[in-house]
Amino acid sequence: MNFARQTAIVGIGATEFSKNSGRTPMQLATEASLAACADAGISPQQIDGVSIFSAEKNPEIEVARNLGMPELRFFSMIPHGGGAPAGVIQQAAMAVHSGVANYVLVYRAFNERSWHRFGSGVQGRHQSPEAFDISFSWSSPFGLLTPASWVAMFATRYMHQYGATSEDFGRVAVADRKHAATNPAAFFYEKPITLEDHQNSRWIAEPLHLLDCCQESDGAQAMIITTLDRAKELSNQPAIIGAAAQGVAEDQHMMKSYHRPDITGIPEMGVVARQLWESTGLGPDDIQTATIYDHFTPLVLPQLEEFGFCGRGEAKDFIAGGNIELGGGLPINTNGGQLGEAYIHGMNGVAEGVRQIRGTSVNQVPDVTNVLVTGGTAVPTSGLILTTEA
Amino acid sequence: MTDELSAEDEAFYEQLQSMVGLTGSPKTARDPVNQSTIRNWCDAMSEANPYFTDAEAATASLHGQVVAPPAALNVWTMPGLFMGHQPGRDTKEPAAITYNALAAAGFRGVVAVNSDQVYTRYLRLGDVLTGTAKLVDVSPQKKTGLGVGHFVTTETEYTDQNGDHVGSLFFRVLKFKPGTGRKKPVDAKRQALIDAGLDPDEVMPEQPRRPRPLPQWNQDQAWHWEGLRQRELRIQRFTDDGTLMHPPANSNPNTHSLEYDYIVASGRATLYSYTVVHYPQVPAFDYPNIVGLVELEEGVRLISNIVGVTPEQLSIGMPLQVEYIDTHDDVTLHQFRPADPPRRTTTLKRGEVQVGDELPIKVIPVTTRLVVSGALATRDFQDVHHDRDAALMKGSKDIFMNILTSTGLTNAWLGDWAGPDALFKKVVIGLGAPNYPGDLMTMSGSVTEVDADGTVTVGYKGVNKLGNHITGTAEILLPKGA
Repeated sequence: MNFARQTAIVGIGATEFSKNSGRTPMQLATEASLAACADAGISPQQIDGVSIFSAEKNPEIEVARNLGMPELRFFSMIPHGGGAPAGVIQQAAMAVHSGVANYVLVYRAFNERSWHRFGSGVQGRHQSPEAFDISFSWSSPFGLLTPASWVAMFATRYMHQYGATSEDFGRVAVADRKHAATNPAAFFYEKPITLEDHQNSRWIAEPLHLLDCCQESDGAQAMIITTLDRAKELSNQPAIIGAAAQGVAEDQHMMKSYHRPDITGIPEMGVVARQLWESTGLGPDDIQTATIYDHFTPLVLPQLEEFGFCGRGEAKDFIAGGNIELGGGLPINTNGGQLGEAYIHGMNGVAEGVRQIRGTSVNQVPDVTNVLVTGGTAVPTSGLILTTEA
Repeated sequence: MTDELSAEDEAFYEQLQSMVGLTGSPKTARDPVNQSTIRNWCDAMSEANPYFTDAEAATASLHGQVVAPPAALNVWTMPGLFMGHQPGRDTKEPAAITYNALAAAGFRGVVAVNSDQVYTRYLRLGDVLTGTAKLVDVSPQKKTGLGVGHFVTTETEYTDQNGDHVGSLFFRVLKFKPGTGRKKPVDAKRQALIDAGLDPDEVMPEQPRRPRPLPQWNQDQAWHWEGLRQRELRIQRFTDDGTLMHPPANSNPNTHSLEYDYIVASGRATLYSYTVVHYPQVPAFDYPNIVGLVELEEGVRLISNIVGVTPEQLSIGMPLQVEYIDTHDDVTLHQFRPADPPRRTTTLKRGEVQVGDELPIKVIPVTTRLVVSGALATRDFQDVHHDRDAALMKGSKDIFMNILTSTGLTNAWLGDWAGPDALFKKVVIGLGAPNYPGDLMTMSGSVTEVDADGTVTVGYKGVNKLGNHITGTAEILLPKGA
């Protein structure tokens, strides 16, 4: 990809992460976008492109109006919910690299706890004869209605095939919460958990316990992308976008790709992984820390396998002994992840990647040169590598 | 729990007590043990032991001739169907005297609660049975879930045409006053209201159940949903290369052909993966809700509910069988239950069975047809087992399975596990929640004792949506090893 190492994230901004923001999502989007501009050291009037999730309910024209952007030359949306965080950045990077826009704003803002509870699933969803709505007819009438239950179906099969256990999933939650415990921005700041806490937490959708599931959060995260040349004029150390990729694989469904010969891998993440490694010339050994999308812990394991950090079915051994915690071989989700910090559809995980590159994370990993960030799993997805090296 | 009794109740109980010990006159069966009745019985119970119906196999067996299923012990002397033109029942029978006295006092409802059968020998074609019943106990008035009532216990000894003992039956029924029972099971929420002195039915009136999320379709998938209405599981097939697709597609991904029809799947499948959903709870479903990823033997997978099992009974790879459920006026869904376990044709030998061995579970769909045909096959013409109007009038929500059918189904399941040469010695059944049409009964059990003489004791239960329909034990003699 010809924009590899040619663009950068130059500003990040977020609101506080909470269970009840007390403000509208539109307000949150505005505040986070202003904060990102301030962090980048640019005026909102310089922004001429916006790239957002199609799940985003706060229109780019409202943000543009609020921030007084005189003109937008580029605006786009990436579908499929949590699969989009690196996808929107890829759009931004391609736009600035091609010259269509100079500074592109990306953001995600919602009250997914105090307004609509995101985890409640699709029980009352819109009915229509359109293909997207019909796709739920194969699952909703049976009570398979929530993201947790959709992921649980994969998890049961993964456990069966590879001998992984609920405790293996729990180790991801323990690592996330350990990192959140030392991150003042995290909702679960100073609230670590033990594996026993995880095992004792109530069932949501077996084999998922409550503590296998990410939070529902109120909050917003925004960032600014521009070319590397412009980035060099700004004061922050640029988080260079080594590569950013999207992925859909054969016989893809939304959260329910249950009809493939094998359902223990995440082939769409494999599509992303191959592009990222090929475009950057990097491999698993070159990554010092990663944000691995963690809406539900079981799907963290096959992501590690898709990227080649370990072999197929071996993630349970890879994550044992604190290897994914600070001080381990591959610390992941050093902000606390979506279980510990907040669930902002992965955008807060991208921001943590930027901080690790800048050297400003509260849980800084030493000598970081390359950070992997992944998007939501079981959906059409995305991933990116941030790097210090142009 | 015994309630405070009035003087009238006490006097009535005295009267009932005076009947204990009454022995009726011997009753001889109207017909000898015969193949036609055995065959009907086996058909209704899905009993497949060839020694009951296949003269050739039976002659070569340990029995040397066709024998009757032991669980049919008390079928032969059943009084038959009286429509008014036959001689009436013998009202001097101790059970009849007691039942009539109770009915006259308002205890019109009746349910069987215990049936212990002891088999001295298997019955042969031509045997003529005589049963002699004795009233052995009448309980004080008890408050039960069904209503206020008395338990009445009789013991019947059966002899053959030579006067030799062939078996005995210990039988207990509850005679109750319809409408005096608990209106609903008392869960924690209801109990809290009762404890607070409130009437739960007033505080939490029953709401009509919200329907499940409605499936939507257009002309691309309508044939699938129309098939379900007809109890057919239709799977898309591209006609050029036979590719099966589910969910259906608009083009064959291999050839890009647009031409397709469908096959009707056999309904045989295995469990590929599953989840047990606990939270959030949507009112349309029972929780925990088991949702499976089911792999049809034709090779495609679909999402469905797994019914008739507890989460602990699930295992990946378990064989499944399709069932159907009407969820809306014009929508039928598929659901899957565990497939029937294989029938053993080579009998288990002594030493092949250990204490703790689990029996394969069997899920029996309780249909109106099974309840009625089971009642008729066991020659039990009590109206509550075949006449819905009569059952409603007597305080039941529907017709319900008779205990002889439950016993027959249990023995058929046990026989499938043990094999044709296993000899049933004794089957003890306690009856709990009724088996109403539309439910599923799941049989499960394990070996609790293995005696040196080859007798194996199995503890078992049959569970439906309301709880334990039957619990009990069976003693089965296994043949010596080779």
